[in-house]
Amino acid sequence: MPSEVVLAVSGLTKSYGAQRPALSEVSFELRAGEVLCVVGENGAGKSTLIKLLSGAVAPGAGSMTLRGATFSALVPRQAMALGVATIYQDVELIDSLTVADNIFLGAERPAAAGFMVDARAQEAEARRHLEQLHIDIDPSALVETLSSAQKQNLQIVKALHQEARVLIMDEPTSSLGYEEKRSLMALVKELKGRGIAVIYISHYLEEVFEIGDTILILKDGERVGTWRRDEVDVDFVIRSMVGRDASLFYRREKVALGAVRVEVKGMLWPGVVEDVSFEIHAGEIFGIGGLVGSGRTELAGLLYGMYPRAAGELCIDGRRVTPRNPQEAIRSGIRLITEDRRKFAMFGPRSVTENVAIVHNELSGGPVLALAEEARITDRLVAQLHIAVASTAQAIESLSGGNQQKAVIARWMIEDADLYLFDEPTKGVDVGAKEEIYKLMVEFARAGKCVLMISSDMPELLSMSDRIGVMRAGRMVKVVENAGIAEQFLIKEFIGIS
Amino acid sequence: MGRERKAGLSILGSQWFLLLIVMVIIAAGTGAINPRFFRVNNIVNILEQVSTLGVVASGATILIISGNFDISVGASIGLSACVMAMLMKADTPYAWAIAAGIAVALLCSLFVGASSILFRAPSFIISLAAIGVFRGIALFLTQATLQTIYGKFEGLGSMRFFGVLPLIFVLSLAVYAAVGFLLRYSRLGRRVYAIGSNERAAYLAGIGINFNKMLFFAIDGLLVGIAATMLLSRVGAAQPATGSGIELQAIGAVVIGGTPMNGGKGRIVGTFFGVLLMGVISNALNMLQVSPYFQDVTFGMLIILSVAVSALSQKRGRAAA
Repeated sequence: MPSEVVLAVSGLTKSYGAQRPALSEVSFELRAGEVLCVVGENGAGKSTLIKLLSGAVAPGAGSMTLRGATFSALVPRQAMALGVATIYQDVELIDSLTVADNIFLGAERPAAAGFMVDARAQEAEARRHLEQLHIDIDPSALVETLSSAQKQNLQIVKALHQEARVLIMDEPTSSLGYEEKRSLMALVKELKGRGIAVIYISHYLEEVFEIGDTILILKDGERVGTWRRDEVDVDFVIRSMVGRDASLFYRREKVALGAVRVEVKGMLWPGVVEDVSFEIHAGEIFGIGGLVGSGRTELAGLLYGMYPRAAGELCIDGRRVTPRNPQEAIRSGIRLITEDRRKFAMFGPRSVTENVAIVHNELSGGPVLALAEEARITDRLVAQLHIAVASTAQAIESLSGGNQQKAVIARWMIEDADLYLFDEPTKGVDVGAKEEIYKLMVEFARAGKCVLMISSDMPELLSMSDRIGVMRAGRMVKVVENAGIAEQFLIKEFIGIS
Repeated sequence: MGRERKAGLSILGSQWFLLLIVMVIIAAGTGAINPRFFRVNNIVNILEQVSTLGVVASGATILIISGNFDISVGASIGLSACVMAMLMKADTPYAWAIAAGIAVALLCSLFVGASSILFRAPSFIISLAAIGVFRGIALFLTQATLQTIYGKFEGLGSMRFFGVLPLIFVLSLAVYAAVGFLLRYSRLGRRVYAIGSNERAAYLAGIGINFNKMLFFAIDGLLVGIAATMLLSRVGAAQPATGSGIELQAIGAVVIGGTPMNGGKGRIVGTFFGVLLMGVISNALNMLQVSPYFQDVTFGMLIILSVAVSALSQKRGRAAA
């Protein structure tokens, strides 16, 4: 099927400041009517690839060839004009307008009166589009009345109306039920028949093997290879997604485990975290792995009192401490290092000192600040954690990612605690800072504390954890001893194929 | 530590410098055209005029840094001053009348704060609606008549140290100092900055958001009440429209003083100079016999200009970072 090449990508590279690029020299060709499935672990570079193709971010190097022209970077409007459409979940549609209005948004059909919109003509044409694709949606319905699957279909219709030739779908089935998944699969096949090229990104390998013509495997930002579907099998794909250089693994010092200190019983947030129970021993680093969206972050949030829980309790040393809000959690000796420091931890324009001392001032300070003590504590922590600052009066947002993360962690090290919840502790952090954060976690463990570590970074999970809890669709489906387990085994558990 | 100090001062210095330069230019220009500008009497007049604004702007500084706005303070000054004046007219002891007036302003501010928290609405919008509420109550209470208290309660407004330094200006300096202390040296001040720069992060660091926001509004209300008292004593009469427009001047002064509209940053010294600049401009326009209608235009444009400057410096800051 040597049909026309609609998109050629060559040497695409993107770094975000960290040492390893998020995407490194990725090349491929996409032909009309081809379904290219992109697979890889969390953080393999799939999202980055989408962002580059849709024009959301500009690549550091490489080029994209579309309709005969070669671009070193795209802006979203340009990508759309060149026929590249990205289908996101639940966004990009205007809820208060009808299905037809949304399809024609920005290019309305004018009525005779010039400034009016010919709603009737728009609806008729929208209906034709929808019928051709066998999609059962009323074009005059308001978008807010549609299900998320219907909205997704609508986005596809809209993209086709705008004459898209390349559709990018990012985890399109992750929030769909079984029937909806089936009909999406059918729709993708239909698109293929009409010569539309599809870039399909999914964790679900059974989908990949059902609809993919070619499979592009990414690992750590690099292209492992591209295969025709019939050249490979599931095992080969999984093996290629994981398995990597031993240098990526950190060799941590082992700490003897003590008695059970933390007990989590029946944590429940219906639809998000389903009845999760586990224990953590003194000196243990308990890793939690799973796909993004499996409820890991939300579980940590529940333990920290960030979200209301429907049921469940948390005991530390046999004492029931289940916090109702972060304030209570902090007072009960629970610490949360959040996944997104910019959003949840940093006071960007404020000084390093203020950022470090914030919890200390709340916990042990009086109404009037002890500035000298604050400065002393900050200086000590800056030295201890090797935080590179020009001055502790510097705004925290002007530090590098790794130093920001260390400064944020520092605020939790002034007062003693029992349970440390680390959510993606080394995300966007360079290798040096990574090691220091690992050392710190081991130090907590050695002091008999309990550490819970959520990580999407396989080597991190495997090198740091004493045991690993696997979360899938809100449940903790398995807890395994971290002794000689293979990445491949974990990935299978994450995805749910045995 | 030494290096910190210096870095802080140089930023501050440049800000002062800019405002000072502008002020000097305006003063020199006005003085050249109308020499009465530099008379002691006029200088004292400026100081008196900026006292009330300074107290209101100090409260606004706290609110804006914390990411909130209260544009109903003009209306609550009107209501508070009317209540005080009516009580004084009825020969209530001054202390009680003042206490009642300050309580009214406090309640107004808490009303705005509580509504904004309860209904998760921006305080800007809530306070916009509250203007009508407060002014309406004042109109009802006074039946839209002017409440004059001539000959009563003039001491506060007319007292001058050494015959030149107005008591109310000294009072406003005390308020600047108190707010400055709060922002710089108190835990509550840290919460102002923390909540203003990242409310979510403040919550996760164990800071009670709603309780503290209510505190900020309470402090603002208290200061508004003090401003109303000062204004009443100086003017000797109150009506529902008393104080209207001061909210915009106060916000303008805060923003000119370098506190960005989106909070998380800012210092009281900036507000001090912003207020002074406002006072000088207002006085200069009078001295130059500019039509009062055009004065409104000037202040409106000045506030837009200060927002523009703030937006541009934010952008530059981001580009540098």
